[in-house]
Amino acid sequence: MSDQPLVLDQTTATVWRALRDGPLSVKALVEATGFDQSQVMVVAQATPAYVALDAQARQELDPADELAAILAEGVPERRAAELVVAAGGEMGMADFVAATKAAGIAMKEVFRYGGQRGWLNRTKGDRGPVIRVDDAAAAALKTPAADEQALQQVLNGTTFADELVDVDVAAALKLLKGRTSLVKIRPRTRRVLTLTAAGVEALATATVKIQRSQLTQEDLRTGAWQNIELKPYDITLPAATLHPAKSHPVRKVIEQTRNAFLELGFEEVASPAVESAFWNFDALFQPQDHPARDMQDTFYMSDPATAPLPDDAIVKAVQAAHTDGGDTGSTGWGYKWTPERALATVLRTHATASTIRALARNPDPPYKAFCVGWTHRNETLSYKHLPVFHQVDGIVIDEHASLATLLGTLSAFYKKMGFKKVRFKPAFYPYTEPSVDVMVYMESRGKWIEMGGSGIFRPEVTEPLGCKHPVIAWGLGVERLAMLRLGFNDIRELYQGGLDIVEGVPLCR
Amino acid sequence: MPVVSIDAARLNALMDNPYTPERLGDALEQIGCDVEEVIELARFRCPNCAQMIEGSLGSETNACGVCGHTQEAEFEEVDRITAIRLDLLAARPDLFDIGGLARALRGYLGEVRGLPQYTTAPSGWAMHIDPAMAEHRRPYIRCAVVHMPPLDDVQLATIMKMQENLHWGVGRDRKLASIGVYDLDTLTGPIRYTSIDPVATTFEPLGCPGTAMNGKQILEDHPKGPAYAGLLEGCARYPALIDANDQILSMPPVINSESTKVKVGTAKLFVDVTGPSEAAVANSLRMLVSSLIELGGTAYSVAVSDGTTTTLTPELTPKTCMVSLSKARTWLGLPLDAESLTDCFERMRLDVTPLDDDEFDITYPAFRSDIRHMVDLLEDLAIGFGYENIVPALIPTMTVGKPRAEEVVSGQARQALLGLGFAEVMSLPMTTEADHFDKLRLPVPDRYVRVANPKLKALTVVRSHLMGGVMNALAANKRRPMPVQLFELDNCVSLDDSGLNGVREERRLCIAVMGPDAGYAQVRSMLDAVLRELDIEAKVFPAKHESFVPGRVAGFSAGDVEGRLGEIHPEALIAFGLDQPVALLEMRLRTLAWD
Repeated sequence: MSDQPLVLDQTTATVWRALRDGPLSVKALVEATGFDQSQVMVVAQATPAYVALDAQARQELDPADELAAILAEGVPERRAAELVVAAGGEMGMADFVAATKAAGIAMKEVFRYGGQRGWLNRTKGDRGPVIRVDDAAAAALKTPAADEQALQQVLNGTTFADELVDVDVAAALKLLKGRTSLVKIRPRTRRVLTLTAAGVEALATATVKIQRSQLTQEDLRTGAWQNIELKPYDITLPAATLHPAKSHPVRKVIEQTRNAFLELGFEEVASPAVESAFWNFDALFQPQDHPARDMQDTFYMSDPATAPLPDDAIVKAVQAAHTDGGDTGSTGWGYKWTPERALATVLRTHATASTIRALARNPDPPYKAFCVGWTHRNETLSYKHLPVFHQVDGIVIDEHASLATLLGTLSAFYKKMGFKKVRFKPAFYPYTEPSVDVMVYMESRGKWIEMGGSGIFRPEVTEPLGCKHPVIAWGLGVERLAMLRLGFNDIRELYQGGLDIVEGVPLCR
Repeated sequence: MPVVSIDAARLNALMDNPYTPERLGDALEQIGCDVEEVIELARFRCPNCAQMIEGSLGSETNACGVCGHTQEAEFEEVDRITAIRLDLLAARPDLFDIGGLARALRGYLGEVRGLPQYTTAPSGWAMHIDPAMAEHRRPYIRCAVVHMPPLDDVQLATIMKMQENLHWGVGRDRKLASIGVYDLDTLTGPIRYTSIDPVATTFEPLGCPGTAMNGKQILEDHPKGPAYAGLLEGCARYPALIDANDQILSMPPVINSESTKVKVGTAKLFVDVTGPSEAAVANSLRMLVSSLIELGGTAYSVAVSDGTTTTLTPELTPKTCMVSLSKARTWLGLPLDAESLTDCFERMRLDVTPLDDDEFDITYPAFRSDIRHMVDLLEDLAIGFGYENIVPALIPTMTVGKPRAEEVVSGQARQALLGLGFAEVMSLPMTTEADHFDKLRLPVPDRYVRVANPKLKALTVVRSHLMGGVMNALAANKRRPMPVQLFELDNCVSLDDSGLNGVREERRLCIAVMGPDAGYAQVRSMLDAVLRELDIEAKVFPAKHESFVPGRVAGFSAGDVEGRLGEIHPEALIAFGLDQPVALLEMRLRTLAWD
């Protein structure tokens, strides 16, 4: 035994205290403590040095259903004996049988138990067998026998033989054994707990830990937490599933893109979604008969149907670039450019409509601008195409803008977007020369993915807008990047609105 | 974009050295081709026209793209090839076919240098243009004669494919130019380009031996007719090529005649291109003839005469354009000198003539119709240099990043709403009158930002508010545990005569709560929370709005910020397929300003 004061949990302390005044049965402890039997038994068996568990055999007395009625009128042998007493202490057998029968007394029990008790004696008389109750028996009949007293107590609620009061228990049990018409006797074990001397001593100095599942504000403020033991958890169990509120996956890519550009020193620009054909096509040197301008591919507006052209100087310069190259050193497209086709309003077909407007506003270097916006193509819905989607466009006007710095800027941008490996290949786009396709290595798919187009704006694009320096430019489809990240194969899934999809994709992806 | 399958073995046969298909594919990528993949491909023969055709993606086929024949049983497989599949680049029709690709690759891989030399001796054949054709919709014609090694199956298929791709890339699906190829030995010169009566004149069109049809019947009934009928719509007479024996060669841009068709074994070709665009007509012929020369042909010119002038076609004389070394160095940012510039251009099959230390005349083939400025040649220079050899560099100039104002305020609102447990949704900014007005119990206005020509007929509305998209998003989440809380932040467009392009664009915000306890008080708390975080004090006042329950809707405004909130009308809930109460807030966060 240690000299340290014991630390008891609350259950143990309660049981021990209940035992301080003397041994108690488990049943009594359950009543005294309010614990259930298993809790008490855990304490009883935990520390034999402090708590002794003693098991005693005992008899449970289970009264027969008719016991009360039987006792009320007397057990059969008593009633029969009293008949004999009333008849003067002796009856001929035939009379006795007739009388008991008339009184409804069970004969079988009368002879068996009446004889055993010594109340009824069968003897040979002059005229055959007689039944006699002698004086001693008659005196005994005046008071209840031991078993009758016991049965009366059982009727009054006593369950166990050892609980009978003022009764010769041994005599009573001897009389009642096997007499199931009155009572059934079952063997039982009685467990008694005793706080040992060591236990009493330990309890006197022990401190009690209170066990709980949660601390209260009160516990923390008062310092009571120091005596409170928090129950350990089963940490192998799963917890409830929770999802944070999140942005849309496309929004996430857009925000990542915006941050990348802003960190690289770009100014964010925007322009109307409803755009003139002039800024959407003509300013980008797209000839007016270019297939992309067909009604098949472009959304034209019925309201507003036209938009005014910019300053005459710009219009004239653009017209000249288309017609014969003007001052740009180009041969132009060699056709008759008409302002009427440039007036038409369209839903912008690319975000370059925004960056080209920005270029016209700020033609002098250094200038870096980007735009993220909805763009539109006259498509029906399919797994591959939506009529509306996002593009990101960037431009750099700079004395150092060149093919080499285009590749350097794109490398920096795509690395910021999380791609470790970037490579470039030649491409052919209508308003850039040279043109470059950007490929990024997608670790998750183990292959190179074409990510966007880029190039140096043709002089036929920049010079009519007053820009005399090289302008590097590039565009990126946002939905494509979002789909690659999410592992979607159907672009329509992005805009179906179900939150399950967003929940299923980790924020880090 | 059309995809072509280039037989790697045949491409190799045109090269001096053998290369693996993968090496060829890589080199093609480096010169700018869009290489889809390198695959095994089966080829089949059409039992009707006997043409070799490729199975789609290597699978079996029972349809012929040449004559239009289809049958129930699969076609007979002829052979299998390793094919390099290319997405055609509209800008470079000279890289559409095996001849053109071999020409470029031989330079890029160092087998030959400089300009390909194409000469055309006179063939002695003549083409007379009916003067009346000057008034026709398709007045222009160019012709050539090409002698080939006797054609086999595969070469025949190659020429067909070439023709088809040029129709797409240069002819814009025959709208600008249309090509005809004939067996010269079936013709008698001179040949006329004239017109025929759509009904009175008949001939046997290709694919219909023994069936004489007139022009009108061809447009209506021939497998190839209806696709091109639109190009002749309204024409009183149809164009035709007719030889000295009054044999009809073709009715461009629709169909050739059966009697003049090119077959296996044909060795002499007569080629014509007709159409409304002189440039496209001339370019198509140059592309086709140059590629046939690369495939082993010898080209001869045809005297094309309109009665007053006679031109020898094809016109294959190379052109020149000046390139400045110093301009090239700044434009490309590459360490070039006269020697490396010359080397790069020659790899790209161009000739270089120095004019002085800085200026060089670059001679390029006539078929390079894509060159209209020095920068077009700088692209060739960069490709000759090799994109993979370029050292990327950062621009040293310092600039400062600057976000748009509406994005800054949106970011703040987003942070507040995500913090309040609202998920962000996005919906398409183009919608329908039903979703944008009807279901929300709003009258369709006389005027709204309206699209004229959507392929999806109902998709005429450019959204002016976010309620429709958010209601649809709620519907998509109606089987989730309640409450569902979400928001959308995006641009909307309204008509505004005083705005740029006649519209006003706004950053709008819509917040919605759906569930048994969704009510005005909840969205009012959200409004207060968002405005508090944005440091905006708004006046809230009673309002009427058809989308909301009367008496449970309020308006608010604070300068540019304005909007409404309340409980959505049960009719609107039901129209969107909802079965729970919805409280919703929709507002303008900021009117977009254009710099």
